[in-house]
Amino acid sequence: MVSPAIALAFLPLLLTLIIRYRYYFVLFYRAVLVRIWKDCVTGLSREERAFQYVLTNSTPGDPDSILDAFDYWCSKVEFISNIGPKKGKILDRLLMEQSPLTVLELGAHCGYSTVRIARALPLGARLYSIEMDQGNAAIAEKIIRLAGFDDDTVELIVNPSDEVIPRLRSDYNLERLDFVFMDHWKKCYLPDLQLLEGYGLLGKGSMIVADNVLFPGAPKFLRYLRKCGLYEWKIHRATLEYSRGIRDGMAELIYQGIK
Amino acid sequence: MPGDTLITSENDTDIELDFAGVEDFQENHKREKHNGKRRNGDRQENKRENQRRKRSSKSVQGIREESQSKTERRERSRRRKGKAEHETSGHEGNKRERDQTRAKSTKSKKNIKNEKTRKLEGKEDGEAQEKSEKGKLKLVCTKNEEKIESGDQLKEKEKALGVKKKKKRRKKVVETSSEPETSEDGDDEEEVNNDGEVRPELLSPEELEKLKEAVDEKKKLIQSLRGKPWPMKQKLVTLRESQLFVEKYEGALGKGKGRKLYAYKVMMTKKWMKFQRDFENFKTACIPWEMKIKEIESHFGSSVASYFIFLRWMYGINMILFSLTFGLVMVPEVLQFLNLNCTFILFIALYIYFILQVRLILLCTFFEQALMGRPYGSIPRKTVPRAEEAGAMDFAVLWDFGGYAQYSVLFYGYYNNQRAIGWFKFRMPLSYFLVGVGTVAYSYMVVIRTMARNANESGIGDDNSFNFSWKMFTSWDYLIGNPETADNKFASITTSFKEAILEEQESRKDDNIHLTRFLRVLANFLVLCCLAGSGYLIYFVVRRSQKFALDGLENHTWWERNEVNMVMSLLGMFCPMLFDVISTLENYHPRVALQWQLGRIFALFLGNLYTFIIALMDAINLKRKEEKVVKYNITMWEATLYNGTGSENSTAPPITIHPADVPRGPCWETMVGQEFVRLIISDTMTTYITLLIGDFLRAVLVRFLNHCWCWDLEAGFPSYSEFDVSGNVLGLIFNQGMIWMGAFYAPCLPALNLLRLHVSMYLQCWAVMCCNVPQERVFKASGSNNFYMAMLLVILFLSTLPAIYTIVTIPPSFDCGPFSGKNRMFDVIQETLESDFPAWFSKVFSYASNPGLVLPFILLMVLAIYYLQSTSKSYKEANVELKKKLQMQNEENKKKNKQAALKAQMDLEEAKKSASQTAEHQRNNNDSVQRQEDDEEIDNKNQRMYHGRNPSPSVGNREPHFPVRDPGPRNAHNGNHGNPRYLPGFHQQSEPRMCRVPSLERH
Repeated sequence: MVSPAIALAFLPLLLTLIIRYRYYFVLFYRAVLVRIWKDCVTGLSREERAFQYVLTNSTPGDPDSILDAFDYWCSKVEFISNIGPKKGKILDRLLMEQSPLTVLELGAHCGYSTVRIARALPLGARLYSIEMDQGNAAIAEKIIRLAGFDDDTVELIVNPSDEVIPRLRSDYNLERLDFVFMDHWKKCYLPDLQLLEGYGLLGKGSMIVADNVLFPGAPKFLRYLRKCGLYEWKIHRATLEYSRGIRDGMAELIYQGIK
Repeated sequence: MPGDTLITSENDTDIELDFAGVEDFQENHKREKHNGKRRNGDRQENKRENQRRKRSSKSVQGIREESQSKTERRERSRRRKGKAEHETSGHEGNKRERDQTRAKSTKSKKNIKNEKTRKLEGKEDGEAQEKSEKGKLKLVCTKNEEKIESGDQLKEKEKALGVKKKKKRRKKVVETSSEPETSEDGDDEEEVNNDGEVRPELLSPEELEKLKEAVDEKKKLIQSLRGKPWPMKQKLVTLRESQLFVEKYEGALGKGKGRKLYAYKVMMTKKWMKFQRDFENFKTACIPWEMKIKEIESHFGSSVASYFIFLRWMYGINMILFSLTFGLVMVPEVLQFLNLNCTFILFIALYIYFILQVRLILLCTFFEQALMGRPYGSIPRKTVPRAEEAGAMDFAVLWDFGGYAQYSVLFYGYYNNQRAIGWFKFRMPLSYFLVGVGTVAYSYMVVIRTMARNANESGIGDDNSFNFSWKMFTSWDYLIGNPETADNKFASITTSFKEAILEEQESRKDDNIHLTRFLRVLANFLVLCCLAGSGYLIYFVVRRSQKFALDGLENHTWWERNEVNMVMSLLGMFCPMLFDVISTLENYHPRVALQWQLGRIFALFLGNLYTFIIALMDAINLKRKEEKVVKYNITMWEATLYNGTGSENSTAPPITIHPADVPRGPCWETMVGQEFVRLIISDTMTTYITLLIGDFLRAVLVRFLNHCWCWDLEAGFPSYSEFDVSGNVLGLIFNQGMIWMGAFYAPCLPALNLLRLHVSMYLQCWAVMCCNVPQERVFKASGSNNFYMAMLLVILFLSTLPAIYTIVTIPPSFDCGPFSGKNRMFDVIQETLESDFPAWFSKVFSYASNPGLVLPFILLMVLAIYYLQSTSKSYKEANVELKKKLQMQNEENKKKNKQAALKAQMDLEEAKKSASQTAEHQRNNNDSVQRQEDDEEIDNKNQRMYHGRNPSPSVGNREPHFPVRDPGPRNAHNGNHGNPRYLPGFHQQSEPRMCRVPSLERH
């Protein structure tokens, strides 16, 4: 029988762990516990709840108000891992500088980043957004339409990314992608990047932006970047969306081709 | 042109050979071979120089006899060479010859050409002829110039302007006369050519004088090179050349024997230097763990390395403590087994190396008969009591240092109170006491001395001015010969740069001061709460353990029995982590944060330690009460024993009782020793287990689970651990404190500590390299070194306090330990004084210890300390003043230099302006002759420079000066240049701007 005094001696350790990793605990609570609880109570999925909120609290046809509503809901009510306002600004800046004409988005989730990108695109540009999940795609579709983007600007493709990328050239007549935004499964970053390379969709100067490369993190992706030498790349350091203490980064790659 | 290619190739070989020579020297090859090579190199260089000279001279003069005498001369030269160095290996000689013949052939070719042109010259007009000649040699010349001056077109043209006039004048002189001179020239060249090396025997006194002057000049140049306003590249080139020159010709100054001696001296100095370097390396290799620490330093920065250096230092101290206790206390007591005289131990130890086993055994038997001893089991204090005998060998008992371990040499109770043992009357109790005092005194001495030395070092060091320059230019360690070490050094320099930059950044930061203050107060409050909580917990546990002790320890579980140690170790481990987390609130500079952290952990450990000691005091009091009872019982027991036997038969010898059966008192000293040993053991175990679980297991999990985890473990949440410098240092310091405290009652403690430190060194080195990552905020720890020492001193003081208190106030146990039977432990000194020293000595001692003498002495000491301190303070101030003065002077000098430079620049610009004007003027006039002027620049640069330096027209009509080594009188008129251009290894410094001056004057 371990005496209570010895158990008490572990209290400082417990406190240390709690204080040091408080942000992770908060994240766990908001992203997992609250979600499960709400799922049980409302019977709706998280994305549907977000959509309901956005529908009631934003101006249709105004992408900014939709984004604001999303940000508020994600930071105050529940947690959805969108790109978030801070990293979103970096993304906006990159898009403004690049002003790409063909954009591919991997992982639309519920349309936040799609709206964000579409809003920053120049006239006549086209955004292809790939989402694997049917339900999410339906919501993303609604959000996109709510923001006032039509089929010519944003095309939503409901399929896993590794199936779509090989068919991009044949089915969608894409020759070259100017800008790729990755925010789907972190494990798929590397294979999808290699697929893009393999099918020749990247030209010299194409920009690829990958979110969440530090947390949850895509170590293999980063290791590949370091090794392959095809890209000029850097990491924009920031914190995780809707959270202060967890460090995260967004990788910006510019394809240089084989020299 | 073949000549050109030849020259370049020769150039290459020359350099190669030279390198080979140097390497040879370093590798200590055979002297003859080396000399041969060097000479060879020299010769080739000479030759090259000659050729250059010849080429320049050829353009203006023909050497008629040359082609005829060529073969003859070659023969002669070969003979001479053969004489000079018949030791050189065959292929080298071949090569040299080949080179020579090649050079000769090209020379002769050129000569033929020259002769042709001379004929032409006779017929045709001077200018036209010159043009054709120059056309042929143009290629050579321009290339040559490009090589030296990295081709600046504009300058070249300008130079050409300058050269032209000179050329014309010279032409006239040559054509008019100087047949004998030419021959002389030829001879001269021949000599140089054949000679290879400048031979002092062949030099005239004037030449020697000149040579000496030149060497001196070069030496001066080397010395003053640093202050010259040249580009780095030029400086390097000049330095190398001058060094080569000096090295080559310095030896030539001596004659015959003296020269040999000189060469010998040079070689010996070089060898000596190499030996010194090797010896340094050897010394470094002898320092234990130096490489390990260096490696860690290069990867983790100096703060982590400082911990390991501290650990090593601690190891050294413990080594000495251990040898003291082991040699003077433990070994004498143990060796009584063998019945050897204790003062002979040292001799025996030496003997073991030198004499045979048999003789040793003979010696032993001899001593066995002559000496008496008290081995294990001979007296009660050296025997396990009957009641404990059954479980005395159980591991659990031994692990708690009970059973056989308790009744062994490891603890105080085992030692006998016999006043002198053996033939040589080794005073065991006195030695025990003195060793106890000596270890503490030695520790004080070492710590204070180290502190003083550290303070000195920090006082002398430059305080952060020119920090980056120091790092930039002085950080490389040129003694590194190992590529791996070089990598490490590289990493370490990079780290140090990072540290410096970070520090600079930290010093420039300023934030909201009120918020920071509030947060700091809050953090301290939290830490205080934490300290109070841990103190209370320990107090609670100690009280509980006393209750357990009263109940009898056997009725409780292992957990409950070891509660105090466990709780103390756990708190000591986890509370620093909490402090660390709290300290992030404060936002201090990492070094300051480290000191705060150290201070807090210090307070924590101190509180824990003193709670423990208080508990121990209680335990001692309990034991002493028990002892009284036992003492009474023993008298009763003895009385009954002797009564019982006495009544039966009074004449019979007293019955022998086995020592195990004799009743014993509870030896409190042994108990204290046991407690300390247990504490040390549990502390060590906790440290190692934390290391294995917290660092190693974590690292393994992070490393191998990373492949199949949903986030990045390495960069994100658990990640690898950092090395905790402050916690480790304090752990070490407190460990040492416990050793100092407990060593008197458990002589085995230094040995245990030695073992622990040794294992720690390897384990922690390994753990750091394999499972820790460098701290994110790397910083320098140089300043905190003395901080550790100060802490160590405080701990030393605090740990000697309780030890002294127990020694002075508590009477020793009556039946165990070296002081049994005495009223106080320090009575042993009095006893020794009375019985072992003459009466007068004890009298003197008693007088000396009289307060009337002691107090003035103390007063004197205080005064002396005060005086020394004030003088040192004034010295410090003077130092600071001097430093300031130096800085001021520096600044003034800088200002002056700046002004001078500005002035020079202005002058230069003016000159440039006027020059450009004249140049333009000239271009307008001489447009038609431009090409010729261009051609004329083939001429050697010597001439140009010469011209440039002596712009006065009076010098202009002088005969052409050829860069040949000619006898003194001829050279006398240009001696004022001080630039002996006739010697190889000296490349002219062209001064392009000055070249324009003559042209200016001409117009």
